[in-house]
Amino acid sequence: MEPMSAHAATHHAPPQGFIRKYVFSVDHKIIGIQYTTLSLVAAFIGMALSWAMRIHLGWPDAHIPLLSMFSPNGAPGGLMTPEYYLSLMTMHGTIMAFFVLTAAPMAGFGNFMLPIQVGAADMAFPRLNMASFWVTFVGFVLACATFFIPDGPPLSGWTAYAPLSAVGTVAGPGQGWGQNFWGLSIAVFCVASLLGALNFIVTTLDLRTKGMTLSRLPLSTWAWFINAWVSLLAFAVLLPTCLLLVLDRLGGTSFFIPAGLVINDQLQPHSGGSPLLFQHLFWFFGHPEVYIIILPAFGIVSHILPTFIRKPLVGGWKAITYAMIAVGTLSFVVWGHHMFVSGMSPFMAMVFSVPTLFITIPSVIAVLIWTFSLYRANMRFDTPMLFSLGFISLFISGGIGGFFLAQPSTDSYLHATSFVVGHFHFTMGLSAIFAAFAGFYYWFPKMWGRMMNETLGKVHFWLSFVLVYCVFMTMHLTGFAGAVRRYSAFVDDFMVPLIPTQRFISVAALLLGAAQFIFLFNAIWSRFQGPKAPDNPWGATTLEWDTTSPPPFDNFGGRQITVYHGPMEYDGEASVMQTSPEVSVAGT
Amino acid sequence: MLMESSPYGIEKKKLGMWVFIISDACTFAAFLFAYGYMRVGAPVWGTPFEFSSILNGMLMTAVLLSSSLTMLAAVRAAQAGTKASANKWLGVTMLLGAIFAALHLREWFKLIGEGWRLFYNPTGGAAQFGATFFSVTGLHLTHVVTGVIALGFIARGYNQGRYDESHVETAGLYWHFVDLVWMFVFPLMYLMNAQ
Amino acid sequence: MSTTRQLAMSSYVGIGVGLMVIVCIEVILTYQHLPTRTLLFSLLCLASLEGFVAIMYLMQVKYERPILFWTIFPVTLFVLIFLNYLWPDAFRMFNMRLLQ
Repeated sequence: MEPMSAHAATHHAPPQGFIRKYVFSVDHKIIGIQYTTLSLVAAFIGMALSWAMRIHLGWPDAHIPLLSMFSPNGAPGGLMTPEYYLSLMTMHGTIMAFFVLTAAPMAGFGNFMLPIQVGAADMAFPRLNMASFWVTFVGFVLACATFFIPDGPPLSGWTAYAPLSAVGTVAGPGQGWGQNFWGLSIAVFCVASLLGALNFIVTTLDLRTKGMTLSRLPLSTWAWFINAWVSLLAFAVLLPTCLLLVLDRLGGTSFFIPAGLVINDQLQPHSGGSPLLFQHLFWFFGHPEVYIIILPAFGIVSHILPTFIRKPLVGGWKAITYAMIAVGTLSFVVWGHHMFVSGMSPFMAMVFSVPTLFITIPSVIAVLIWTFSLYRANMRFDTPMLFSLGFISLFISGGIGGFFLAQPSTDSYLHATSFVVGHFHFTMGLSAIFAAFAGFYYWFPKMWGRMMNETLGKVHFWLSFVLVYCVFMTMHLTGFAGAVRRYSAFVDDFMVPLIPTQRFISVAALLLGAAQFIFLFNAIWSRFQGPKAPDNPWGATTLEWDTTSPPPFDNFGGRQITVYHGPMEYDGEASVMQTSPEVSVAGT
Repeated sequence: MLMESSPYGIEKKKLGMWVFIISDACTFAAFLFAYGYMRVGAPVWGTPFEFSSILNGMLMTAVLLSSSLTMLAAVRAAQAGTKASANKWLGVTMLLGAIFAALHLREWFKLIGEGWRLFYNPTGGAAQFGATFFSVTGLHLTHVVTGVIALGFIARGYNQGRYDESHVETAGLYWHFVDLVWMFVFPLMYLMNAQ
Repeated sequence: MSTTRQLAMSSYVGIGVGLMVIVCIEVILTYQHLPTRTLLFSLLCLASLEGFVAIMYLMQVKYERPILFWTIFPVTLFVLIFLNYLWPDAFRMFNMRLLQ
């Protein structure tokens, strides 16, 4: 075999000048920080939108002063119209699902950590990496721009179900250019995700350093690698879905619009399309998407836990990795469980229901691995550990709701209620956010070279943890009671008795949002004023802790890295670096 | 730094291109499945292509297949280090790609002249024929045109010594993939719609 | 890599001619007035054969390490197989469409 130049192209000289160094940087560490920052900004925007929605749900007559400045048409005098409520909901979902949950745990931490964890100097294709961030940025700007165009953001939800999303302005405010922007924004995001996934896959396969076999990869790298495959295939199907949707809207085609459709008393000039086709194509992406969000969370937590319980995970690297592979694979065959009440073929409902129940098996195996690993462990309760435990708790609580929703008979009742809202906020929303927080507190010293404040971190955790349960567990209950999701207010029907409960959720949600400012303050303050971080503050064993904080431009300062051990060499206080030729302490 | 062999044993540009090809194949597949879905659901579909169009399609197939062979020749010449020969074959490949695009556009303009639109079927059948035909072949045509432009950049860089034979080989993979997709598009979009 | 094990250029021309022959068979089949299903099935089989030859020889997967084949084929086939889950609804659309 000829020698190959696998590492040659990654050794570019450190850039000079502000623009090259911090803006259009090809350094994976800067790109990771850019993604993380973008996600943080997006998260606070998404949270502000949820605040406005929760205030309206709790107090339907409330006038929100800032909102009227923001959108005179959508919220005249600060009182939002039902359409504007839907717009806020759509953008909350879009921003959170794509630009926060997909971007932060995978593109943010993954970009920064994956090349270091495999011992490489950079990603396999640094310039593609830069392109993928800036394309994401364009997508984010397009999504946010919908707030500032005359008819406002679209109101068809983050799923943009056809035909509502396909017919144009007749369907309501925001369904004109707002929906076009949405389609383009998501198409652009798909391209960025595909480039990112490509980079992750090639980096993991080709740029591993000497001795870094697949069995010695840190579990976070495993998760990002598996996830890169899932996103590669899923986003490859969302891209044509968006293109066909845009064609329906701008090209006059009827892929997703049936014949004889009357909207607002107007017969639509379309025929022969099928809204179900949109749902199938969308959920072919959409269900893997929820695992695209949660798999990096699995990885981050499995990476952090051994450090703080000071022993390897039960089952070693194999059990948890195989569980993640099984989850990623099965995620492609269960998408129909989002469509039980869509008028889908009832036979297919059963075909989708069975693997949906099967996918709980690897998920439960993962959860059992984490919980059993805690048994007889000498745990350290630093903030990253607390958030990891919080992740496990939320994932279990949310997962139990999944059993109800996986079966067509119970799903028919619960489908359009806030039970579903509570369920997916637990399993993919807050679980992934908690894992991202765990990762943030854990890797902050490495990314910025300073320690975060532990007390503030613990206050942030406990407030968030309790309030998250107050908000989303209560939503399960209102869902059982019949509270329909996507309704802007419950003022004059059978759901009036639920208003006090709605107010309880709203107050808890406002407090939960407020608690996040503790985190924001902690992050910004520690970034500039925190104590200097040592190279390895947690006593961890993986390669990112074997270099300075923050790492130099080529990650290891020109050192040749050789790996001798797996990532879970812990035995109580003792631990062995992956690069250390000492004997194994954990017997793995 | 020492040139080190990749642990996986496949050069990273080549692996990257293959990973891209997988995702692009899924994108094309989704388009073709949407076409099948529309067609199965349509009460009357209508089959517009006369034999002359099928002949044109066969000619396009022959052109694209030949361009794959010339691309192969270019890669082999580059691997053998004969720069002039590699450049010549790259040029021929680009020319064949351009001929393919021209033949394809001729077909498009003929259909548009007959009144076919993205949303209109002049024979009275399902309007989805225009929608699916123009979007699937349009996506393929975009790939061909992108490929011709990309080959131009690769050829220039190769001439100037910025790129080596591995770049030519990677570009070749993309070009063969465009050919491969056409092998499915031609029977499904043309032959299945022959009168 | 492994340029040594490749075929001679004339063999590739032969492969190209063979692919073109398959295309001609496809065209001839088209004009046999077969039932749509039979025609579709035969065309897809022939196209898959063409595709396989193109991947193995033109794209040279045959001369790469086997791991490449095992990396790309299963995942692509996986997506292609499971997209077929949407056919029952396509047929339902035909049967349940709005009659005019």
